[in-house]
Amino acid sequence: MKAEAEEIRGGTPALKDSIPVVDTPAVGGADHPRRRRAVVTVGVVALLAAAPLVLAPYPVSAMTRMLAFAVLVIGVDLLTGVTGLPSLGQAAYFGAGAYTAVLVGIHITADALVQALAGLVMGLVTAAVTGWVAVRARGIVFLMLTLAIGESVHQVADTWSVVGGSNGLAGMPPISLFGGPSLLAAGFVYWWVLAVAVLVFAAVALVARSPYGRTLRGIRDNEARMRALGYRPALARYGVFCLAGAVAGIGGALWAQQARFFSPGDMAFEVAALALLSVVIGGAGSLWGPCLGAALVLLVRDNLSASIGGHGPLVLGVVFVAVVFLMPRGLAGLTGGRLRVVTRARRRKENPS
Amino acid sequence: MSPLLELRGLTRSYGSLTAVDGVDLTIARGERHALIGPNGAGKSTLFATVAGTLRASSGSVLLSGRDVTSLPEADRARRGMVRTYQHSSLFLGCSVLDNVALAVQRVHRVTHRFDRAARRFKHTEAEARRHLDSVGLSGRAQDKVAALSHGERRQLEVAMVLATEPALVMFDEPTAGMSAAETERFVTLMERLPEDLTVLIVEHDLEVVFRLADLVTVLHLGKVLASGPPEAIRADDAVQRAYLGSARTEDLFTDAGGPR
Repeated sequence: MKAEAEEIRGGTPALKDSIPVVDTPAVGGADHPRRRRAVVTVGVVALLAAAPLVLAPYPVSAMTRMLAFAVLVIGVDLLTGVTGLPSLGQAAYFGAGAYTAVLVGIHITADALVQALAGLVMGLVTAAVTGWVAVRARGIVFLMLTLAIGESVHQVADTWSVVGGSNGLAGMPPISLFGGPSLLAAGFVYWWVLAVAVLVFAAVALVARSPYGRTLRGIRDNEARMRALGYRPALARYGVFCLAGAVAGIGGALWAQQARFFSPGDMAFEVAALALLSVVIGGAGSLWGPCLGAALVLLVRDNLSASIGGHGPLVLGVVFVAVVFLMPRGLAGLTGGRLRVVTRARRRKENPS
Repeated sequence: MSPLLELRGLTRSYGSLTAVDGVDLTIARGERHALIGPNGAGKSTLFATVAGTLRASSGSVLLSGRDVTSLPEADRARRGMVRTYQHSSLFLGCSVLDNVALAVQRVHRVTHRFDRAARRFKHTEAEARRHLDSVGLSGRAQDKVAALSHGERRQLEVAMVLATEPALVMFDEPTAGMSAAETERFVTLMERLPEDLTVLIVEHDLEVVFRLADLVTVLHLGKVLASGPPEAIRADDAVQRAYLGSARTEDLFTDAGGPR
């Protein structure tokens, strides 16, 4: 860089001889992968939407469960991967949303949209009430606090008669949409759950790309520096905790809608742990990776476990260890784009200019 | 007009150790003020106390005549008082552009917006790119910070700090660990800072200090030993005595006629 001292730029402090902003080639070039990503996204959604046309009802309802669980996992990823707050308590908000949906279904309306929105609100409110304690802590303490919240809420569900105690809540009528007939076929429920899951995915992807998402990544990487830049990270952390609670609430509502039953076992510690495991396997911070992780985890737990003598948890454990050692970026790290970035960074590190 | 920064009897103790002991200091607008002193003189502690990273034990910090002693670091930063760290403190998992944009979006008050993708906030993006450009890093906007060299990271720090639109920037040993070429590039960068910007710099490299500073304050055992223009400090007897035994600085002072 040349050292000529030139005219002072008026107003905002920037260096005196800064060159006017030019559109770097990267800006134009970034459009191409963006279009490719859009094509891939549309393709994947189309494939998922076509599934009930070719698959039998049982695999379709298994996929419905995966999608509902993936919604929970997206929320966990927003906390863990984007903001750097690993949580073991998201099952609490999942359960809050699920019970709310069942209660609304039994007592008020069969409308799936109303149930899902009620689940969202309940997840949000529960997270807002319990979260302000948790977000004051970080790291292990945060993990333990969320675990405590999860266990407490689970305990409440297990003993409170209004939500059926340890028997859970059964007898939820089948859902309907916009005053139409009941959706009894597995395929229709699947399409509804898919639509909501895609919507949640898009919404969370938008959050992750927004200035708020950037703030959250800043908190993940270096909270002290955020304060030195004039941020108040506590508020942003609380916000994302509530957001993740709302997402978990929707996930719970979807789960209840496909099962038409919910019991404390569906929101136990295991669920929260598997959600976190899905994020790690899928690649924290990427959104589609953890969704794949969610599908894989449920596939092993619900479908594979029976055929291998109930050793599903063992398989998950082996997968976890393998991912940690072989794929530190999880499933999301396997794409060509990421690999290119890694190799380019490595090359730079070897011969810094 | 009141001075930009004023310290009145600023004290910071760690238990029985008083690291900063009743420091009075006044820095005018647009001044380039260097803080020097032997290792353990309390420079870094003073720095952190002024920035709000540490709480003062007693005394006060005034920014443009307003007492900010009780304000946390974030609020001081919002009032235009920004610091850098002795070791680069960046967002390693984020892109170079994101690092600067984090500073810009706080100034533009869009830190909690999630209705649009960040790149659609054109004003913020353009401003971030302008700051990257001004430190010569525009070609690396999309790279991860983890891929930058030490010198590049320091350049990025300057871009970030300027992007907060500060009134006072405090650099904590910015050239520590730099190669000679990197130091030269950094000093050039500093010389090109806008003239209305006030700079407080802690620096070990006295050559850098005498090139950049209008005024130099020498800290010794937590107290202000001397304060004045570089030439006067260079000739000051007390300063030379304080520096005796510190081999590096001794060398630098011998040509000014100091005792050997």
